[in-house]
Amino acid sequence: MNRLRFWFLLPARVWFAGLFFAPLAIICAYSLLTRGVYGGVEQPWTWESYRRMIDPLYGIILLRSVLLSGAATAICVVLAFPLALFISRATRRKNLYLQLVMLPFWTSFLVRTYAWMFLLRDTGLVNTALIGLGFLRQPLPLLYNDAAVLLGLVYTFLPFMVLPLYATLERLDPALLEAAADLGARPRAAFYRVIVPLAKPGIWAGIALVFIPCLGAYLTPDLLGGGKSVMIGNLVQNQFTNARDWPFGAAASLTLMLLTLAALAAVYRRGPKDLL
Amino acid sequence: MKRGLAIYAAAAYAFLHLPLATLVVFSFNASRFTLWEGFSLRWYQSLFTDAEMAEAAWNSVIIAIASTVISTVAGTLTAYGLWKRGSRLLSGSLYLSLVTPEIVTGISLLAFFQWAFRWLGWHLGLYTVILAHVSFSIAYVAIVVAARLRTFDPALEEAAMDLGATEWRAFWRVTLPALTPGIVAAALLALTISFDDYVITSLVAGVDSTTLPMVIYAMARRGANPSINAISALIVVIFGALILISERLREA
Amino acid sequence: MKRRYFLFGSFAPAIAACRRDRRPRLNVYNWSAYVAPDTIPNFEKEFGARIRYVTYESNEEMLAQVITGNSGWDIVFPTHNRVSPMSAMGLLAPLEHSRLKNLSHLEPQFQAPSWDRGLEWCVPYMWFGTGIAFNRSVAPPPSTWADLWSPRFKGRLTMLDDPEDVIGASLMKLGLPFGSTDPVELHRAQHELFQQKPLVRAYLNAEVRDQLVSGDVLVAQLWSTTAAQALDVAPSLNFAFPAEGYPLYCDCAVILRESRRRELAHEFLDYLLRPPVSAAIAQSTLTATANASGRALLPDKVRNSAALYPAPDVLRRGEWPGTLPPAAQRLRDRIWTEVKAA
Repeated sequence: MNRLRFWFLLPARVWFAGLFFAPLAIICAYSLLTRGVYGGVEQPWTWESYRRMIDPLYGIILLRSVLLSGAATAICVVLAFPLALFISRATRRKNLYLQLVMLPFWTSFLVRTYAWMFLLRDTGLVNTALIGLGFLRQPLPLLYNDAAVLLGLVYTFLPFMVLPLYATLERLDPALLEAAADLGARPRAAFYRVIVPLAKPGIWAGIALVFIPCLGAYLTPDLLGGGKSVMIGNLVQNQFTNARDWPFGAAASLTLMLLTLAALAAVYRRGPKDLL
Repeated sequence: MKRGLAIYAAAAYAFLHLPLATLVVFSFNASRFTLWEGFSLRWYQSLFTDAEMAEAAWNSVIIAIASTVISTVAGTLTAYGLWKRGSRLLSGSLYLSLVTPEIVTGISLLAFFQWAFRWLGWHLGLYTVILAHVSFSIAYVAIVVAARLRTFDPALEEAAMDLGATEWRAFWRVTLPALTPGIVAAALLALTISFDDYVITSLVAGVDSTTLPMVIYAMARRGANPSINAISALIVVIFGALILISERLREA
Repeated sequence: MKRRYFLFGSFAPAIAACRRDRRPRLNVYNWSAYVAPDTIPNFEKEFGARIRYVTYESNEEMLAQVITGNSGWDIVFPTHNRVSPMSAMGLLAPLEHSRLKNLSHLEPQFQAPSWDRGLEWCVPYMWFGTGIAFNRSVAPPPSTWADLWSPRFKGRLTMLDDPEDVIGASLMKLGLPFGSTDPVELHRAQHELFQQKPLVRAYLNAEVRDQLVSGDVLVAQLWSTTAAQALDVAPSLNFAFPAEGYPLYCDCAVILRESRRRELAHEFLDYLLRPPVSAAIAQSTLTATANASGRALLPDKVRNSAALYPAPDVLRRGEWPGTLPPAAQRLRDRIWTEVKAA
């Protein structure tokens, strides 16, 4: 019994050791080294890169990442709940409705982000339409700011919030709502005192599925935020390419990992264990 | 309340689908500006005469196929092995790789390759991209196949072994055929993930291994070329079709 | 089903091999808008080679790839003061003058430049200075670096995405030397840049050209060649070299030590030095060529352009930045990261 299992698990074990943990170990090492004058890494070993991460200049980027992710998650919860409720109550085409929610997600992520650039930029559809209809004379700067990034994040991750919410709401026993009505509760009260509390596990699962990827977002803030260091992901990428400061980039990426794991731990305790 | 929900749902679906729909519509726009000037296929034509785009698309296909094959095999074997008897370390690693942000995976692989290549004298190329893609695909494949395995009755395998089959034959002749729809669904998933990847690919691709997402990204950044709408529309349609097939198989 | 996947997967590399081009290859990484449309195709035809030609917008972008020593590029075009650090790091292949017969066509000042006296490592290609490009509608027109800190340009001003140029401009605004290595002076310059940041629309290199032409950007710190290209398309624009002084640069072609195709690389460099080729490039891209014989072949309007080939008294205000000592370079890079992140 064990021999087959040994060989079957070997590829994954070798792969993870060599192409996942070894690279992470190298990043840990780099984060403690010094930057070469024109790039690369060299001795001496130092905590300097981590000290720079605590500097308020970069603390702002960390804060912005957490705030944007939090805002995107909150908006997703509010937007996804009614939709999940609708699908869970649909009598006939539940699967179709679910697939329609997931379909945009399955098409290319890059294309979906570009679609918003196409809509929001100065020569984009929204501005052209508003100018053409006479509402504006100059284009509005809709792109290359935090709001555009927030919109992009919500658009990208909304399906991730709908699915777990739907899964929880679907298991809701309609008899509970009838009981609430029998006891004299109006629909709105029944909603807030019965449905929402029972949907909590789904909400937490959705929060995990949205907040954690948002923290590590790179492409959305890069394209919609105008290539500035909007979020940590952008800072990491920049340090490893143009800025050629690998130690600092390594420290930033490990900070991101820590944040991610912390968020995961926080949510794991509250969410349903089987969904994750 | 029911009607209110229905109206809201319609609006939500519009929000989700309209951006992509407008891209597809404007890919047929005769004008290069955002004013509609009539139906035209010119942007599709310019796509097919673009040598750089063709080479990038070809690279993307090769990378996607190679990484899908490797990760499907490895992921299936892993899911099966873990189903027989769990391993906290390996499952933990799988989940860790899923949760790790792409940018972190990308730069760690880049650092690893650069460090290794200092001794080996190799260059970044198609093969480094393939290795990177396998890295993140294995977890996805393993999870999809594991989900499928949960619905599989172990008694079938035991019965086969009682009848004299070895472990391997039981796996090959009994379990694997039953898993096939799940495996194909996982493979299609790995294929689309690999084909669409930008972040990790852009970091570990070499001089000769530009991929389609890299070309699209450059066009999106520069902002001038309308044929990006055409390639986007093509990708939306092709991916959509692939995923619908995958879903059908998963339900089977 | 899996068997089919295996078979299909093994066919793909075979198909890929059939399509492979058998011609010798050269990978060239250059600044954008630095060759004429037929420069590369003509070389490919004449020498039966295939060139992969990719462009970049900044030295940092190029160095990030090249510094690893296994980037895959054969020829790159660093700015002159990056040449000696690159050779000190062992990144460059020494040039064989026996293969570069056209070196004699270079301007006398570029035959033995201060950064590479014997042209051991590089071939000067195009030269330019950094100045201010502006829309003629702006009155009074900007003429000093200090003008770029004026609140009247808020949101319509761009600076270059180049640490040396931006920190240098800030130093010159304060009356300090462009190549200062004094930490106190550099921190003062950094402080000025923090003050300026709210006014700056973006840090852009050649990409800002379209926005200048369309009028979205009124004032831009810009390289003279990019400015010449913009002026050619939009008569509403003008260009000036600031009164406090300005940097002069020369982009040079180098062959990387990692290159396994040094012969072909030398042939390409020699090809670029041919007067007709050099003239065609300079005319098409509106850049100032370091090739004297090439320049002689240019039409009058280009040859005597004030932006591209400044008059002697203007030229005197310019200086050629040298390579900075490591400590100063580190400090400047750190300052740049902080300015960009603010």
